[in-house]
Amino acid sequence: MRHVIKMVALGLILAFALLLAVVAGDYAPWYFAWLVGTTMIVLIAASGAVLFETQDAARDRRRDNL
Amino acid sequence: MINPTVVELSRLQFALTALYHFLFVPLTLGLSFILAAMETVYVITGKPIYKDMTQFWGKLFGINFAIGVATGLTMEFEFGTNWSMYSHFVGDVFGTPLAIEGLMAFFMESTFVGLMFFGWDRLSKPAHLAVTYLVALGSNLSALWILVANGFMQDPVGATFDPNTMRMQFTDLGALVFSQDAQAKFVHTSIAGFVTGALFVMGISAYYLLRRQHRDFAARSFRMAALFGVIASLAVVTLGDALGRMDYLVQRTKLAAIEGIWHTTTPPAAPWTIFALPDQSARKNIAAIEIPYVLTPLVTHSWNTAIPGIDSLEREAKPKIVNGIQAATALKAYAGTKNPAALAEFRKYQSDLGYGLLAQRYAPDQDLAKITKADLPGVVDRTAQATIPNVFVEFWSFRIMVAFGFAFIAVFAFGAYYSLKNELEEHPWMLKAAMWSIPLPVLVCEYGWIVAENGRQPWSVYGWLPTFVSASTHGVGYMVFSLVGFALLYSLFIAAELYLMFKYARLGPGFREAPAAAQAGAGPGLGRPGYANKSWE
Amino acid sequence: MEIYTALKMIWALLLGVLLTGLAVMVGMDMGVGTLLRFVGRNDAERRAALNIIGPHWDGNQVWFILGGGAIFAAFPTLYATSFSIFYIVMILLLFSMIMRPVAFEYRSKVDASRWRETWDWAFLISGAVPMIVYGAAIGNVLQGVGFHFSWDGQYYQDESFIWYLLNPFALLCGALSLALSIHQGGAMLMIRGEGAIAMRARRFAIWGGAIAAALFVIGGIWVPFIRGFVYTQPVNPAMAATPLNGPAVAMQAGAWMRNFHSFPILWLAPALGLAGMILGPLALAARRPVLGWWLGAIAWIGTIGTIGAAMFPFLMPSTTAPSQSLTVWNASGSAYNLGWMLVFALIFTPAVIAYTSWAFHLMGGKVNPEKVSRDDHLY
Repeated sequence: MRHVIKMVALGLILAFALLLAVVAGDYAPWYFAWLVGTTMIVLIAASGAVLFETQDAARDRRRDNL
Repeated sequence: MINPTVVELSRLQFALTALYHFLFVPLTLGLSFILAAMETVYVITGKPIYKDMTQFWGKLFGINFAIGVATGLTMEFEFGTNWSMYSHFVGDVFGTPLAIEGLMAFFMESTFVGLMFFGWDRLSKPAHLAVTYLVALGSNLSALWILVANGFMQDPVGATFDPNTMRMQFTDLGALVFSQDAQAKFVHTSIAGFVTGALFVMGISAYYLLRRQHRDFAARSFRMAALFGVIASLAVVTLGDALGRMDYLVQRTKLAAIEGIWHTTTPPAAPWTIFALPDQSARKNIAAIEIPYVLTPLVTHSWNTAIPGIDSLEREAKPKIVNGIQAATALKAYAGTKNPAALAEFRKYQSDLGYGLLAQRYAPDQDLAKITKADLPGVVDRTAQATIPNVFVEFWSFRIMVAFGFAFIAVFAFGAYYSLKNELEEHPWMLKAAMWSIPLPVLVCEYGWIVAENGRQPWSVYGWLPTFVSASTHGVGYMVFSLVGFALLYSLFIAAELYLMFKYARLGPGFREAPAAAQAGAGPGLGRPGYANKSWE
Repeated sequence: MEIYTALKMIWALLLGVLLTGLAVMVGMDMGVGTLLRFVGRNDAERRAALNIIGPHWDGNQVWFILGGGAIFAAFPTLYATSFSIFYIVMILLLFSMIMRPVAFEYRSKVDASRWRETWDWAFLISGAVPMIVYGAAIGNVLQGVGFHFSWDGQYYQDESFIWYLLNPFALLCGALSLALSIHQGGAMLMIRGEGAIAMRARRFAIWGGAIAAALFVIGGIWVPFIRGFVYTQPVNPAMAATPLNGPAVAMQAGAWMRNFHSFPILWLAPALGLAGMILGPLALAARRPVLGWWLGAIAWIGTIGTIGAAMFPFLMPSTTAPSQSLTVWNASGSAYNLGWMLVFALIFTPAVIAYTSWAFHLMGGKVNPEKVSRDDHLY
């Protein structure tokens, strides 16, 4: 049952996002670009940090192996 | 009679308080999303160093935020205290986005900022993260509504003038909110804030790296800020281009001033002027260095559209001024008598009313009725010249803004590149460049404000209401009183702000370099006594 | 009733709600600021007092900002005229208001007694001055202000600022507003404060409430003798919003009592106000600070309700050009604007109230001076 609710909720979010994309694409292209762009900037900055941790761990392993 | 000194002092006060407010706003807009990104990593990876990062940069955010809020109070009330005619004339449409801003955005931002600072122990990790995102979203939504209001001043859509209430009346919410000018301006301003925030974090991290302090902390902050900034700095230039195009479409006087175009040149040969000293009285550029065939495609995105120069813009304004004088005269007659004939006369010329109000300043005794046939050409000439903003200020503010805009892309690109290769400390020149760049985005944002608002002159609402008639009917004494007070108070604030910023930036995050603390896991392991909430001990 | 008339009345009511929200929430924080130096005898106690409202003052302050924005949008001519006419005090209000956010954020960030002492004075000024100005402005408006409009809707001031600065009835209203804010702030300090802070706050708050009650009674006796304003020609409430060419208005002593005579149910407002002011201090004396706080809020509702009931439909009457007095009918925004703003208000006001209550609930509990002085993250 919980899965069903989750799926329905996600489906609703998807529908809302699509609606937003269609409406915003017509009337508010720049606002829409801001939404997408800001999300992207935050995600890229965050993934940069995650990559940093991976690089850091790799460096530690190399040091341990030496 | 409108006292020109009072108008100039009111303009000075508004410009100073707005520019001062805008010293702090961009950092809030950008840093809030950087904090959210850092905390996102904390929640995903669970590494306490990211919580330290969020808290430390959050502390600097708070120092900046307080003064931004404080000086924002001035802005909300200054329209009423100093621009009564403006407030009366457009309050019905301009006040609405300000009210919605308070209700929708500022309440959210301000309520959650308290939880962001003080709710670490009382909220679960995801809940606190959501709070941080709400602060970031709230501050940017706040900017959105303010810039919707500003968009109306630049390109008045969604309202019509009503001769019965003597003001612009709101007719179309959708047109106001989705105005092209408002949209592009919001995104440009918000992203400029992202650049400011990113360079702030990157620069201070560079300072630590140069001094070999807090290296784990600084390298991570640098990485995130550099990636955040490299995309933001690219986007801000793109949006700048969009805004330039908007000016070409709706504010040709601003565009002509920005590019120093005195005369219309046939496309596509119109040159782009890279350097010049525009001389408004001689109506030409001194010592100009020009690149032909660049401007037309740059601005119009085509090869065969002419960009009107200042001379033809003035020529185009003249019939509007003549009509505007008729409209304003008829409107005044209608206001007194409610005479339908006067109303019909007004309706004929109403779209040029603003130009008539503008001509008031150059009429004998500022009274349009006293313009004789002999006076008319002189009044029209002077009014037409007044439709052009100060070209020198516009030309150079724009060039400084754009040059730094491109320079930031370079700083972020190098920063991101060396950070991704983990070679930051081998390139101290890069770190120094980042550190010394910290104040530059703030400065560039100020220039952006000047380009937008000086370029809008002589109008407070473009084409409808001249700045000259917008001010309150104060005496000079009132203005001196408030100007001196603002100057004193704001100087003290900036001194305190800079003192605290430097103090806390120098003290640093106090993060213990020893790995043991990082692995202790239960909250910030902070070295300096008394710095942190030490509940984990 | 025409829709436009209904919208105007709704926004007049919402203006009252906003002014009340502002008075209750900002007034509470102002009261804490005013009392700071007196309830906190040492740094730890003062920090504890500040942190009682620490997580909330910023959100509360938005009531003030929203008040400005909503008057701008819903009553543009009132915003343009009143803020300009009261220039000197509005600027003093701004100067004192803008000290406060800075004081909160900066005071405890430097560990030097002179630095902190200076900011503590800033709290006193930024707490007391805005409340006095707030009350005094309403007091001035009740008596009418000297101004007129030219044909284009620009205002001209017809009296010196010395009058509205030093006029006795306005000062009485300013004192009433300050006293109520001290009651409200003191009650909050009792709710979340401990030991000596709560004890001292209780004394001040009881006095604040009692003095407010006395001033309210004096004001009530005074009002029938001051000049009120009344329309002497028929009014079309749905008229186009302009103060020019309006129906005639007369100035008469006692005119502010007319609404009460026509609609006796309006006496409920002053009764509510006085009851709040008398029962509030009693509740605090009985160490029931939460009840006392709510009674203080009721006192504000009653006070602002009384003024609204007396003046309706006048917002800012003019003594020099009475027919150009600003009223709910002639100073409002357009129907389209008021309609849309109502939609936004209906959606977002419940949301604001919900998350503000949640924030208070979340950050509730006693604030201990010892713990505060050990935590550098706090104010």
